[in-house]
Amino acid sequence: MTSYGMVFDIKRCIGCNACTVACKQENSLPDGMFFTRTLSAESGEYPNVSRTYLPTICNHCEDAPCERVCPSGATYTRDDGIVMVDGTKCIGCGSCAVACPYDMRTKVEPDLIRNGLFGDGNLTPFEEQGYSRFECGTFTKCDFCSERVDAGKDPACVATCPTNARIFGDLDDPDSKASRLIRERMGRQPLPEKNTRPKVFYID
Amino acid sequence: MAHISLKNMLRPGFVGRSFKSGCRFQRHWDTPMASAFFCGETGAGLFILSMLLDFLPGILLGLVITGVGKTFFHLTHMGAPHKSWRAILRPDRSWVSRGLWGIIFFVGFGVIHVMGELFGVLPAAFEMPVFLLALAGAMVVIVYQGFAMSHSTAISLWSSGLMPVASLLYGLLAGASLVMMFAASGFAVADEGRLAVVATAEPLLIVAVAMVLLSLLHGAKHGSKGAQQSYELLTRDFLAQPFLLGVLGVGVILPLLILLLAPAGFITTAVATGAILFGFYLFRVVIFKAGVLDPILNPANGFFR
Repeated sequence: MTSYGMVFDIKRCIGCNACTVACKQENSLPDGMFFTRTLSAESGEYPNVSRTYLPTICNHCEDAPCERVCPSGATYTRDDGIVMVDGTKCIGCGSCAVACPYDMRTKVEPDLIRNGLFGDGNLTPFEEQGYSRFECGTFTKCDFCSERVDAGKDPACVATCPTNARIFGDLDDPDSKASRLIRERMGRQPLPEKNTRPKVFYID
Repeated sequence: MAHISLKNMLRPGFVGRSFKSGCRFQRHWDTPMASAFFCGETGAGLFILSMLLDFLPGILLGLVITGVGKTFFHLTHMGAPHKSWRAILRPDRSWVSRGLWGIIFFVGFGVIHVMGELFGVLPAAFEMPVFLLALAGAMVVIVYQGFAMSHSTAISLWSSGLMPVASLLYGLLAGASLVMMFAASGFAVADEGRLAVVATAEPLLIVAVAMVLLSLLHGAKHGSKGAQQSYELLTRDFLAQPFLLGVLGVGVILPLLILLLAPAGFITTAVATGAILFGFYLFRVVIFKAGVLDPILNPANGFFR
């Protein structure tokens, strides 16, 4: 059975945030909304200081707390392991947002959708086309670009990454590149103590 | 969170919504949700005690506080209130859904019970089942919010078995204080014996609430990084004043001293009730504002070279 997941190679990530921009473009995300972000973290003390870039995304957890707490059935998991949100069913209660340990849920603020980027209510043709997919007041998140995945393509952030720091693949297939990397380079999951069994792994 | 300023979001240890790794405030459940929780627990507590004492004005007020107040604040909070009926669909896994069923049972059978009491429209055979179903609904309403919070493993402060206990104790305390307030106002709440039981239970409930609050703090102090940040916020940072002075000082110590030391009377009962309700509401607001998410990538997991 297919179980899609993603691997982040921290050694390769240069913090350019091209993935962030590609995601915003692919999903027509309004100002202030992100499905993926590359965080930076400094460690050490002068003169031995280093900065690490840490790409983050919805972890499409096997035991997704957002799905568990959703009272309306808007959040569900596809057969291929991608956790989806049906905006037409979401009531905007925010239970998923406070249940997600990774802070990966984002609210579709009505003002952003109605007023557009320039705030005057005149949406650009790009906004008019893109915002029609959102339901105002609901919560949404990354869906691994499910439409692209269904068409046999990689998610937009993976396709864009200039350093191949993001690797997408079937974690149930032991021969997939993602599975091999996790196995060979001891992939680690974010906040494993939360017992959500994320399908996103970090290697360095 | 709307009422947490940028200065607070970016205080030491916090990264706000920036592209940095660190602690973040939960910002999705705010004052309207706190008000809804407060109304739900207060209304259910008053309803339960009034049902046990067979005190109709208390039953009615409990129904109004929950049915109108809680519903209003929930709808204010919802992003898509016109679809909120959909929350009934997942009682098998979601506490929010179970809670909505609880509200339906509580308000629905509660109203039928009141109609029966007032107009005698309920056949005798149905009186006890309706009474029990309304009471069961109220029991769900008084605890489900605590379960909903404790289910959130994301926020370590909330992820505690003490949350439903706090909900139950605070709800019963608010209910008991309102019942005593009714009695002090001249309402014939119940006979002397049963009223004495409530009067004795009130300070005991305050002590139990205090123990739960201190246990929550203790758990947070020794919890994850996010929980420790919550502890700092509640004891030393910008939430220390409302928590220590408001929730503990005004909401716990003041009413306890009044109930134990001051002579019984309308004024003292009113002040004690006001202090309890004020402290309870502040607890709900403060506990939401102190909700902190752990850093997404923890140094303990070896993400930093």
